[in-house]
Amino acid sequence: MKRLRRIWVLTVKEILQLLRDRTLLIATVYLFTIDIFLAASGVKLTLHHAAYMVFDQDRTQASRELRGRFRSPYFDLKGLILRPEQAFGALDKGKVLAFLDIPDGFEQDLKTKRQARVQLLVDTSNAMMGYLVAGYASQIVAEFSQEQMLTQLGLTEEMLDRFPLIKLKQRVFFNPNQEETWFTALSELLTVITMLTMLLPAAALVREKERGTIEQLMVSPVSTMEVFLAKILAMTVVILVGTLISVGIVIEGAFHVPIRGSMAVFMLVTTFYVFTSCGYGLLIGTIARNLAQVGLLTIIAIAPIVFLSGTWTPPEAMPIWLRSLMAFSPLYYFIQSSYGIFLKGVGFDFLFPKVGAMFILGFLVLGLTGFFFRKRFIG
Amino acid sequence: MRLRRVWALVEKETREIKRDPFFLLMAFLVPSLFMVLFGYGLSLDVKNLPFWVLDYDQSKTSRDLVYHFVTSRYFELKGSLLDEKKALAALTQGDIRLILVVPEGLEKTLVAQRSAPLQVIIDGTFPYRAQVVKNYVTAIIGLFNKKRLQEFFRRKGFTEQQLETMAEPVRLDVRYLYNEEAKSVWSIASALIGMILLMVPPMLTSVSICKEKETGSIYNIYASTITRGEFLLGKLVPYFLISALNALILFAWAIWVFKTPFRGSFFFFILSALVYALCSLGIGLWISSFARTQIAALMISLVVAMVPSFLYSGMLVPVSCLDQTGQIEAHLFPAMYFVNILHGLFLKGLAWTTLWPEFMALVVYTLVVYFLAYISFHKRVKR
Repeated sequence: MKRLRRIWVLTVKEILQLLRDRTLLIATVYLFTIDIFLAASGVKLTLHHAAYMVFDQDRTQASRELRGRFRSPYFDLKGLILRPEQAFGALDKGKVLAFLDIPDGFEQDLKTKRQARVQLLVDTSNAMMGYLVAGYASQIVAEFSQEQMLTQLGLTEEMLDRFPLIKLKQRVFFNPNQEETWFTALSELLTVITMLTMLLPAAALVREKERGTIEQLMVSPVSTMEVFLAKILAMTVVILVGTLISVGIVIEGAFHVPIRGSMAVFMLVTTFYVFTSCGYGLLIGTIARNLAQVGLLTIIAIAPIVFLSGTWTPPEAMPIWLRSLMAFSPLYYFIQSSYGIFLKGVGFDFLFPKVGAMFILGFLVLGLTGFFFRKRFIG
Repeated sequence: MRLRRVWALVEKETREIKRDPFFLLMAFLVPSLFMVLFGYGLSLDVKNLPFWVLDYDQSKTSRDLVYHFVTSRYFELKGSLLDEKKALAALTQGDIRLILVVPEGLEKTLVAQRSAPLQVIIDGTFPYRAQVVKNYVTAIIGLFNKKRLQEFFRRKGFTEQQLETMAEPVRLDVRYLYNEEAKSVWSIASALIGMILLMVPPMLTSVSICKEKETGSIYNIYASTITRGEFLLGKLVPYFLISALNALILFAWAIWVFKTPFRGSFFFFILSALVYALCSLGIGLWISSFARTQIAALMISLVVAMVPSFLYSGMLVPVSCLDQTGQIEAHLFPAMYFVNILHGLFLKGLAWTTLWPEFMALVVYTLVVYFLAYISFHKRVKR
């Protein structure tokens, strides 16, 4: 009972300390709301209004027909040009991403049944987008080409079924309309949680060291683990409230991300994650001597945790040595679980191994922290 | 402005940094570490996509079809057990990215000269990846169909020469400019210099000033004859040296480790990197004028730097592809201008005359930031 009371008192102290730093409080609220909104609303990684220019030397019905296929929402015509130099200038300045060159005699080639060629120059200074532009352009031209084939054979479009060809039927699961905000908003929320749960406990611990209040804690009857537990509990309260606000206002309110699983389960998983992630934060706080060190150490720790989580880069695209490090990123398990709960509606058999691994990781880290802490302060 | 006073502060600051060897080490280690992690970890190249085949046809044609996927370097066969439940579970687990469903009677339908459907189920959790997967699948099926079509025409008695044109009357030749192999690591490594130089320097200056606020040593400054301009300058110099060195180190990483080509003027790179580092440090100085604690300074630095430099700098998404609000946001932060310069110098090989507007934008931005830092820093205790 006494133990619980001690933890309770310490927890209240931590929360009060946090609430009284107004700048910090505002930054926290900002992170949970506006930051997530900004990150998810403005940026689209899928092909979306790629600006391009056309140099149509043919100027016939066929060439007009072809270039008309490059349209919204994937492409955005930025101008028909008269000299190719104009396009190169615009490509250099990054005003357009692609340049379609239709040579003279395009229609003539089609009529005389010679292969007509068109060229697309793609700006790949951003390789990911360049790839998508090239992919979509190829599809558009391939479709056009197929129709031309039918015309040349004097057939209509419905007669394509008469050819012994494979007809592709693609279905996208979990996010059928490929709403990018679903992905980005969730991943940003999880990153924000990671950042706060590592930075704040580390900072709180180092602040006690810098001010010497840690000595007071050491001579008081509280144990090391109670000090840690109080900091973790305080963090859990802050994060859970922040997460609820964020899910309510931004993720549900603004972006309508579906919750196919149970929200209560998500909150429970989040609690476990906060425990693990705080462990990392406290480890940093124990090692660092001042806040400047905390800052640098935290970003050193956060960057790999985020990038080894499989959010942006899937494991199969990573080199083996990086892939094996993924097991130590608690965010990897959290992200899998969260996307599972929100988008896939998974059950306990899916979540149990992941949350379990996360929890074990948390215990290991906390044990390590306790070891370092005792070594440093108790001797 | 008395240089002697500035110098005294520079000396004090330098000594403080030197006596915290851990901090000094970190200040140089963090940027390089970021370069390694992001450079290797942020590869958005989609390759070795694990997939599952549900081949209900088990015919020669269906095997040939699957073979097209297996031999492609973009796909990797992970399972072929005829168990729909297991395949779907693997998709949910994230072990595979797509399932090919070859329906029964595929070959029969094709032999009967009719088109046959092939179903592909794609994991859409990350829409970008789903889009790329779709493109690859379409390309492979396109190739497969082209071969079949040629075969079909051949049997109808067309000549070899006619076949090529018949199957593909219009052909698109795609040429990649600037990054001829479309390597995402080249685009990313060069842009990372801009991102990292916006993440680390503001932290250094803002935390350094807020530390004085928290420990109370700032009162010495308040009570001394040093002016606020001299104080800010004195704080700036040592961190500017660190950041300038880091800019060079990052450049070396991009060139030698990630093998990014550098096609522009090195002098112009140095010049713009120095201005950008100044700008970034200035943001830190400005933050320290309203943040009271080091932790608040840290958080604001991270918030200001991370999202805009990551998402709105043109590193992940070209600025021309952003929507209206995104474009405005991109122009509000310095990262975009510098990333344009970086891509211009590294990949596009542009002359400084083309990049001049971006450079001037950085200069103006820097001046504004310093003006803001100057007017909002007070040698008075705030209530």
